[in-house]
Amino acid sequence: MRRAKISYAGRALWADLLDDDVLRLADGTLLPAEAAVWLPPVEPNATVFALGLNYADHIGELGFKPPETPLVFLKGSSAFVGHGGVSPLPVGARQMHPECELVAVIGRPARRVSRSNALDYVGGYTVANDYAIREYLENYYRPNLKVKSRAATTGLGPWIVDARDIGDPQDLTLSTRVNGQEVQQGSTRDMVFDVATMVEYLSEFMTLMPGDMILTGTPQGVHFVSGGDEVVCEVEKVGRLVNLVEVGG
Amino acid sequence: MFSGTAYGVALNDRRQLEARADSFHQPPYGRPPEAAVLYIKPRTCVTAGGAPTPLPPELGEVEIASTLALLFGGSPGAKSPDVSAVCLALDVSEWHQDFYRPAIRQRCRDGFLPLGRWTSPQTTYGDLVTEIDGREVHRWSLDRLFRPIDALVAELHAYLDFSPGDLLLVGLPGDAPRAALGQSVVVRSEGLPSLQTTIVAEVVS
Repeated sequence: MRRAKISYAGRALWADLLDDDVLRLADGTLLPAEAAVWLPPVEPNATVFALGLNYADHIGELGFKPPETPLVFLKGSSAFVGHGGVSPLPVGARQMHPECELVAVIGRPARRVSRSNALDYVGGYTVANDYAIREYLENYYRPNLKVKSRAATTGLGPWIVDARDIGDPQDLTLSTRVNGQEVQQGSTRDMVFDVATMVEYLSEFMTLMPGDMILTGTPQGVHFVSGGDEVVCEVEKVGRLVNLVEVGG
Repeated sequence: MFSGTAYGVALNDRRQLEARADSFHQPPYGRPPEAAVLYIKPRTCVTAGGAPTPLPPELGEVEIASTLALLFGGSPGAKSPDVSAVCLALDVSEWHQDFYRPAIRQRCRDGFLPLGRWTSPQTTYGDLVTEIDGREVHRWSLDRLFRPIDALVAELHAYLDFSPGDLLLVGLPGDAPRAALGQSVVVRSEGLPSLQTTIVAEVVS
């Protein structure tokens, strides 16, 4: 099952995706997917964690050492933009790069969950394009929010796929294409801290709530985008997230 | 009401910035911060109505930083967001002096953001006074903010788009006190509803 959040008939609604082009609303109404605008499948008060330096190849590319504990940062709700949405490339910025990520969506409250049953608390998965704008990096609470939580610079979606339809989250290929050219390619096998470890790690000190998300980091491939680019992030079995880059903001 | 993201800003106390000025030129920082140093408190931090504040078993005490919380209203995308309400807030954290990586474990624990009752924004604010077990232990003025409230909101809104229901903690005193198990904490400021909480042992079922 896939669940999408859409804007339709003047409202934000959650809908089931029956096949690739039919949405079913809660009242049973069927509508073609192209009649909907895709919203990021997240509620505004969800806690959204993201991981830096979580793929061995990407760490090497940036010249860092693997972290001993997860490098976690948080995102504010204005950062998110849905499938087919537009992300602003700030005027004057040159170093904005997409990051394709598998996102785990928490399904039930989790506190002090052990790694061995942590995946029982994951309700589904989606895809993120976690853009960074490297010019704004500073060494205070790095990666700082000006780099990682700018309005509309984290694509999310198109939908949330039930965890049971995914199977092992650590055996999925992921890729990014910019205007059709592949710029990132990797496998979730190469995560330093896997999904189950992250649920255990975070729930050890706080309660994870349904709808909270963990963006699990990105593999190698730093490619700077330009205005007008079409960026497609794809995670095997989960989805294909399209984002457009426009100068502005 | 709070229904969005709770943002906070660290290193916004002029006295703290002056005291730490040398350290900003050392590794891992290299140079002083240019942008406001933001953090986020998860929704599970927020409590209200005098609810107790849980102290995790491995912490002997917690830092309790009094501050003002702004609640945004108005329309998203507006040039300058409305502050629709304010309240006193206590940003609870595990004491830390390392600002290089986000202080997630230190700042994001359940119940680590008690809020007072919301009220209308004022044009000026008096001292924020913290009492532990009835005794004044800390007092500071928002005049110490390096980025005053309006400038801070304008700087952040330029790239964050505050939405109605988002909350912003305007800054923390660098000399915030600490509280231990069993202590009762009150934050008061003239013209604002007082905030009260008690530090209790965290219970995880």
